Amino acid sequence: MNFTPAVDVLVIAMPLAYAMLIILYGRAFFAGNRKAEELAPRALMTVVLLHFLYVGLRTAAFDHPPVTTVFEIMTMLALCISVAYLYIEMRTGTSSTGFFILSLALLFQVTSSTFIRDPGELDPILRSNLLGFHVTSALLGYTAISLSAVYGFLYLLLYREIRTSNLGLIYSRLPNLETLEKMSYKAMVFGFLMVTTAILIGSIWLPRAFPSFSLWDGKLIGTMLVWLLYAAALTANKALGWQGRKTIILSLLAFGCLVLEMSIINAFGDTFHSFQ
Amino acid sequence: MDLFSLSINHHTAPLEVREKIWFSEEEARSSVHRLKGKFFRECMLFSTCNRTELYAANPRGHAGAADLSGFLIEMKGAGGSVSPDHFVAKDSEEVLTHLFRVAGGIDSMVIGDIQILNQVKEGFRFAREERTLGPVLNRLMQHSLRVGKRARAETSISEGAVSVSYAAVELANKIFDDLSTKSVLLVGAGKTGELTLRHLISKGISRIKVANRTADRAQEIVSTHGGIVVPFGQIDAALSEADIAITSVTAAGPVINAAMVARAMKIRKRDPLFLIDLGVPRNIDPEARRVDNVFLYDLDSLGTVVNRNLGKRADEIPSVEAIVKEEVKHFVSWYSSLQVGPTIQELLTAVESIRSGEVQKNINRFNAEDRELVDLVTKRIVKKILHQPIMTLKQQSENGSVRGEVLEHIHALREIFGLGRQDYDE
Repeated sequence: MNFTPAVDVLVIAMPLAYAMLIILYGRAFFAGNRKAEELAPRALMTVVLLHFLYVGLRTAAFDHPPVTTVFEIMTMLALCISVAYLYIEMRTGTSSTGFFILSLALLFQVTSSTFIRDPGELDPILRSNLLGFHVTSALLGYTAISLSAVYGFLYLLLYREIRTSNLGLIYSRLPNLETLEKMSYKAMVFGFLMVTTAILIGSIWLPRAFPSFSLWDGKLIGTMLVWLLYAAALTANKALGWQGRKTIILSLLAFGCLVLEMSIINAFGDTFHSFQ
Repeated sequence: MDLFSLSINHHTAPLEVREKIWFSEEEARSSVHRLKGKFFRECMLFSTCNRTELYAANPRGHAGAADLSGFLIEMKGAGGSVSPDHFVAKDSEEVLTHLFRVAGGIDSMVIGDIQILNQVKEGFRFAREERTLGPVLNRLMQHSLRVGKRARAETSISEGAVSVSYAAVELANKIFDDLSTKSVLLVGAGKTGELTLRHLISKGISRIKVANRTADRAQEIVSTHGGIVVPFGQIDAALSEADIAITSVTAAGPVINAAMVARAMKIRKRDPLFLIDLGVPRNIDPEARRVDNVFLYDLDSLGTVVNRNLGKRADEIPSVEAIVKEEVKHFVSWYSSLQVGPTIQELLTAVESIRSGEVQKNINRFNAEDRELVDLVTKRIVKKILHQPIMTLKQQSENGSVRGEVLEHIHALREIFGLGRQDYDE
């Protein structure tokens, strides 16, 4: 059966679905619209199901899960972020951070849908079990790190509002500072462990799979730099007793570097770690 | 519509007048009895710190606003200080709008005051226990409580702290996740400080330390609220162990300076510290707010929080007004159904629907030639059964309008046959 036409439709539909979701969450957050607040969780569930369908159809159409190019990874990242947020929303019963977290999913999905191409013949290197573990742990890691960054960013906004007595929407709608800090920190620890796992698996698999493997590859250096920054943030928190704001600033710096690294190296860098 | 209300409130009279016409529970109970005997078949009365309100329906004869205000003034013996001009009287639909606005919290001195609904509820409870409610006021009570509940559930009219002490607690809830795991230090024994402490305790805080220049007063607070007394000279050390510190001291200069706060933060490994300065002049050096992870609020900044919340509540007034309007419409529609004509019509329709339903269900048990006869006979039976009650209703009413006992009969009839239930779901 030919699934490609359905995939082609969903490539365009997914960013639109996410955009509508963001409008709903935005109306609930900024305008306090109760109807939007009620509709948003159901819409999220629908979008997540639609996204699973898209990933499933794509896997069936091209005979491999969409984890072999950076833009395939991006749609997987958007899906993971949405699923993680859906879980958080169901656990906590509040949807106040939805707009911010799902905006990130929208960003990844738009980028993915804009640049994604139908893959040609799959490189045999990529048919490896180790790749599956490497990609899964990297995906989980980057999802957690993205969530940590959003919670951290929201923490800084709320921190600023409370410190300056300039209380606005952020103050009214967001959870308390301690919760935001905890969420950001826990997601960061989980993300760090997962990325570490991805790096470890990568360091076993990559030299075997690629004759052109080099430790001085731009992508590896960039990833290690980001990893070191996260390690520094966690060490400062544990060993130096850095609370809240400082740890979060450091982790946001690391996240900024990560985004920069991904954009610059994927766009201009010459790396063996690219399969397009 | 035979509805009447009389109100003395913060819009119509100053506190020194309102307090003279304040009815205790006992006084309210005995007053409604006397009102029922003299003026109305249904009445209720309640007092709060900002208002005394009388609601009545189904009059026995003609009673004007002056008679009723005179009666209340006489009941309280307040002739010297309260005059009928301090009261505002309303009738018919205006009564509904007024009561529903009161229950919805938009007629209160502090918009969205959540206490008022309980006070309205209490007023109705006394009246019900004293048997001074009838069908109209019973229905009115259900509607007013419904307005109150809807206003709180569907709008933000009661959201946000509107007093300095509650504002401090609201902020604490925005900084900390679980207040029951936090500790508080109260410095000084000012009333607002103690009130803030009480609110924090109601939110679960149990680890309390109190420091005061006069140790006896600190001991007094501790024996009321729990906790331990720390010497006034050891605030420095106590600060490093507290998550929240409230200061309410009368002193010329700050009792907590920025260096003390910085030291405390170092010892507590920069865990967040919420400082609530309720003193005038201020008790905490404003420079302390520069220290990382310290949240310092004084009376001015807490006032900003209160004003912001009041502004947000005021924005919700139109939404509550819409609910009031909707419920007034529901009540008027119910009240109109109490008239003789519509009641007879609804009764006929209800009984006919039962008759025709049963005939349809069982018609196959009869021979084809008997079926028409069955229909005819059942119609006659129904007509004969309903003839007497319908004639009685028609005779009792004067030109179709009902008052007094007839209204109660109609209400009872409607209740027994479940008429009009589909129009308004309780």
